[in-house]
Amino acid sequence: MENKIIEKQNMAPFVDNLINAEAEVIGPKRKDGKYAFDKLIETGELCLDYDTTLLPPKMYLFPPKETLIKFELGKEPEVEPVVEAKPLILFGVHPYDIKAIELLDVAFSTTNPDINYLSKREKAVIIGVDCLNPNPNAFCPSLGTATAETGFDLMLTDIGDSYVVAIGSSKGEQLLTKYAETREASQVELAQRNSERQKALARYKVTLNISPEELPQLLDKSWDSPWWKEKSEKCLSCGSCIVVCPTCFCFDVQDDVTLNLKEGERYRQWDGCMLVDFAAVAGGGNFRGDKESRFRHRMYRKGKYIWERYGKLGCVGCGRCASACLAEIASPAETFNRLKEESK
Amino acid sequence: MKAKLAFFDFTGCEGCQLEVLNFETELVELLNHVDIVNFREAKTESEDNYEIAFVEGSITRESEIPKLKKIRQQAKIVVALGACACLGGVNCLKNFRPMKENLRIVYGDAAKYYDTIPARPISSIVPVDYYVHGCPIDKKEFLKVTKALLLGKRPEIPNYPVCVECKLAGNVCTFDKGETCLGPVTRAGCNAICISNGRHCWGCRGPVDDPNTNSEKEILQKHGLTVEDILNQFRIFNGYLEVSK
Repeated sequence: MENKIIEKQNMAPFVDNLINAEAEVIGPKRKDGKYAFDKLIETGELCLDYDTTLLPPKMYLFPPKETLIKFELGKEPEVEPVVEAKPLILFGVHPYDIKAIELLDVAFSTTNPDINYLSKREKAVIIGVDCLNPNPNAFCPSLGTATAETGFDLMLTDIGDSYVVAIGSSKGEQLLTKYAETREASQVELAQRNSERQKALARYKVTLNISPEELPQLLDKSWDSPWWKEKSEKCLSCGSCIVVCPTCFCFDVQDDVTLNLKEGERYRQWDGCMLVDFAAVAGGGNFRGDKESRFRHRMYRKGKYIWERYGKLGCVGCGRCASACLAEIASPAETFNRLKEESK
Repeated sequence: MKAKLAFFDFTGCEGCQLEVLNFETELVELLNHVDIVNFREAKTESEDNYEIAFVEGSITRESEIPKLKKIRQQAKIVVALGACACLGGVNCLKNFRPMKENLRIVYGDAAKYYDTIPARPISSIVPVDYYVHGCPIDKKEFLKVTKALLLGKRPEIPNYPVCVECKLAGNVCTFDKGETCLGPVTRAGCNAICISNGRHCWGCRGPVDDPNTNSEKEILQKHGLTVEDILNQFRIFNGYLEVSK
């Protein structure tokens, strides 16, 4: 992979050029003491040294609410598919979120390709940045998601006075050539990048005491563990964990009509297995009507089901769920470590 | 045939009916599908041949009970409109004081001319088919429920806590700002409007079907609230519920 250098004073002009010339640029900005991805109006808003964002960048590829079709009711109803996609640059995406998007790419293109997601994805450029100040609940090194070798067009690493830029695609290279002042990276600078990444690994506070490949087997043995009931007692079923998750991709589909009661739209919106009605069916049944089974199901998705179905991790260790959970029960690392202990 | 709608009010500020009148453009469009035959706040003439009754306000006097029962007898569908009708609402604050004292505080020497009973939601007197929650109601939700009724569909009202919509709104959690919030047990549907505007959730939409109030109480205590503080929070809109007693 080719590597370049952008001096720090040249970063602002690069971002400004992208904002002015290329496409909508989305990047991490400060928000009430935290960080959130949002449209950048000018470079000054961009915070590349953030720990994590409130919501994952997936929301720009798989919006929380999205129209799928428009219809007009009548003897012969008219139905029009709606696919909206515009050029987009996601700037400053952390490696764990890139890994999460790689999972979404597989999930949304397997069996029935999801045209709405794939159209947006095709027009999106991902400019990553290495996470050097991890969130205290993150455990990316245990899952191999602290750094990424694929899934980006460009990847930045802060090495002090400059950024090393790894070029991941020709699209990324073209943007760099067109809009940034760069020079070749020296061996010393590449060594500095390694050293920054190494130092960052030591800043993670949570460790998984089991290799991710062993998780499906561990969970297989843990179906009847007392942990599920014990820990889920405090669950508020508030869905905070599934809303902030970069890998969750479940959605609900609803119809709505305008006040003329003829024209309408079918839309989808994020849904998730920790919500009470997620597995509710006609006739009043609910396949996971209690907190315990919902809690267990989510952990099985993260550590087993998704891995087995898509060959990728269902959790990238970003720690957002653990940070968002008021009941302090959502961290997959805590659950997996506890089950590992129990299995000894 | 247009469906016949009626609006009725019991004890409340009448703000939810006012919200319906505030819908102006939408209300005119709605009139293509319905006749509003009874709406004291908006028109003088009234008829009693309605099919769908929107009932605002809580029940706080004996004399209101037969009136409500009569509405139930006439209407095919009864919809509770707003926090007072749905939950009892802020009126239930008086339930924690002797009724005689309430009368004395409000009416002074004239107290003997009035009666009052503990405030309650309309569902404690008659069966209610649908609820439009909130203080005040949300325009989109009112229209959603009304459209669903006209199409013969069941309105999809969220049965998950405000946290879902609050997170989607991109808010930093109220608890992370050193404050407290009833969002984790309160029914969503408001798009977390209070939190998005710098306040916390007061619970005006009432609890979800199965709220984890024990967990919420523990969390509130951990964030510095006493048991009395917590009860006071719940009682603002949800005084009628067991959890507030």
